[in-house]
Amino acid sequence: MKRRTFVQLLAASPLASTIHAEDPKVAPKYKVVTPHKPAATPGMPGPYPGKVISVKSAKCLSEDGTKINGEAVREMMERGMRALTGDAKTIDSWRRFFTPEDIVGIKVNAGGRPWVVSSHEIVAETIRNLMEIGVKPGQIYIYERFQNQLDQVNYAPHIPEGVNIFAAERANVRGDNQSYDPGVYVEADFFGEDDTRSNMIRLVSQKLTKIINIPNMKDHGATGVTGCLKNIAYGSFSNVARTHFKGVSHTLSFVGELANVEPLRSRTVLQIMDGLRGVWHAGPFAPTLKYVFFPKTIQFATDPVAIDRLLLDIIDDERKRRGAISIWNRDEKSLDFNNGKRRDEDPDTNIIIREPGHVQYAGKLGLGVHDINKIEVKEIEV
Amino acid sequence: MRALVLFLALALAGVLFTAEAQRRTEVTQRLPLLYWGGGVETAERLKQAGIEQIAAPPDKAAEWRKVGLKVVAMSQAELERREKLLTPRVAGRANVASPTQRPWIDANGWRFVRNPSGKFYYELPQGRAAIAAAEAFVYSADAVLKIDPADLEVIAKMLAFLRELPSGNLPVIADIGVVDDGSPTTGEVMNLLTRRNLLFKKVPAPSSQLRVNIRLGSKEYPEAEAADPSAFAQKIRQRLGDENRSLRVYGSEIVLCRLTGDGSRARLHLLNYGGREIDSLRVRLRGKYGLGAVKAFGIENAALEEFVVADGATEFSISKIGVYAVVDLPVAK
Repeated sequence: MKRRTFVQLLAASPLASTIHAEDPKVAPKYKVVTPHKPAATPGMPGPYPGKVISVKSAKCLSEDGTKINGEAVREMMERGMRALTGDAKTIDSWRRFFTPEDIVGIKVNAGGRPWVVSSHEIVAETIRNLMEIGVKPGQIYIYERFQNQLDQVNYAPHIPEGVNIFAAERANVRGDNQSYDPGVYVEADFFGEDDTRSNMIRLVSQKLTKIINIPNMKDHGATGVTGCLKNIAYGSFSNVARTHFKGVSHTLSFVGELANVEPLRSRTVLQIMDGLRGVWHAGPFAPTLKYVFFPKTIQFATDPVAIDRLLLDIIDDERKRRGAISIWNRDEKSLDFNNGKRRDEDPDTNIIIREPGHVQYAGKLGLGVHDINKIEVKEIEV
Repeated sequence: MRALVLFLALALAGVLFTAEAQRRTEVTQRLPLLYWGGGVETAERLKQAGIEQIAAPPDKAAEWRKVGLKVVAMSQAELERREKLLTPRVAGRANVASPTQRPWIDANGWRFVRNPSGKFYYELPQGRAAIAAAEAFVYSADAVLKIDPADLEVIAKMLAFLRELPSGNLPVIADIGVVDDGSPTTGEVMNLLTRRNLLFKKVPAPSSQLRVNIRLGSKEYPEAEAADPSAFAQKIRQRLGDENRSLRVYGSEIVLCRLTGDGSRARLHLLNYGGREIDSLRVRLRGKYGLGAVKAFGIENAALEEFVVADGATEFSISKIGVYAVVDLPVAK
């Protein structure tokens, strides 16, 4: 049989994967290389494990969901931060996490452009608070992996002059390695790929002293949902798309393994889940409003696992409400890998068997609390 | 005393001249040849580009010589009697390989290894001349390149670059020996090894000098297994073990390498089959090397960065590479 024929046959067979031990329940052998030691209290899960503040506001979006009310967002953030720390003044809440000397990274999510991204208003309000406690604009870095995504979201007009906007690569096409640290990486062979390393962004390993994670409430074809964990993990390392291949995904273990690498784990001190809008299918993308829904919520925590555990239910409940298959569905009949077009048209189609268990896996690594009964959620309506 | 100084100076000049002549001989022998079908009226363009030698149809050879170019007379039929090579490139094939996850590379290195005395030719679309010239050079192949005329200037620059490289005819470094039975299946296995930077060489019989030896049809490597060359290559990789590989490349899967060395120094050739420059490509070589030098085609001031020797291996990043780069390293004492 010719190679091409064989590979085409392979491609035509739903779960066939070429070479390697593809059962994601069996985590690949990970080699973590980093010279950084953990902080006395790592940022994840931080000082408030298992605690989530969920602030909802009917006023935060216009009726059609397309416009965000900045004033409402400011109020939501003030209430949320105070409730998280228990402080009477918002500025004191921020002071618990940051000092004027800190160099602060804001890990945004620009992948769900234009509808489900870290919103200008939340990012701007975050920066305003950092500056309020004395962090200078030049010490603040909005960061994401791909420049073309950041360009489309275009934060610059919404933030003070002098705040840095940084992307590690021009686009999701490999070859830009300069912004990744060759001395901090996780090595693993998932599917027999030649390049087995994922390197941490230098900005994270060499410059930032603290990181604020601002993800969105999103469905994800490989991980089930993408929230705090995936945003900080896959958004801070190179060469991560290799974990999905022909319907199988190793995100089950890799998301948590990456988030657990120092100094990322210690420096990520605050999680602000932007749930003003969310996407319940075909995520992490949201090029149209077709699968966008409106939780009108912002969540605050230091524990990424706790927020993501709640997110699993938020996305799955929305899917159920719409009559779509669960994020936990592993039925091969639902799988049509590599057929993004069909997935975009049909919410009952998976292109990869999703791995929502990645949240539990991260919990087992000590990144936070996964047990729903041990998560304390304080709901606030403004 | 003056006579002695004069004698020493002449002797030194003689040595330098001989070394330079030898370098030029070594390198010139390995340069691919440009086949040029254009008329003699294009001579000025060739000269301006720096082309000194071409292959051309026999009926035009005399005219070309008259205008001062060296010519190898070669008819179209003679050209086509050579083994035709694939256009070196990253090929996008729907349903076969995702460009972001597992690139499909059309490369010819294995053909040169299989048949080192073979005669080859490329017929190249625009934009592929430079990589083809470099590919043939890396394997010292007897190759003729029929290019798109628009690529004349770039191939002239590439040939000049190759000509100016310090001499480097060193033995091949390999981890794997392939007993080549000449079959298409074994050819495909060699192709996959090349594409995955699994360093191999053709051997007449299994060699104890190599960590892994492959003879198709043996108990260890049944022919049926090779029906899926990709899986077969992966089996070989696992048997070798990544830690034992003489070469690893990180930061791209479209850069294919050839490593040579003689115990005192090593030369690493890197061929970039994609269309974009790659920065900070990370390389790991098994063994301890001293800081050497890199020359990258089309890139000024390319450098070796973040050089680390640890755990029996040497790692460094190449600041930027375009189509082709060569790294020379001394073996550390």
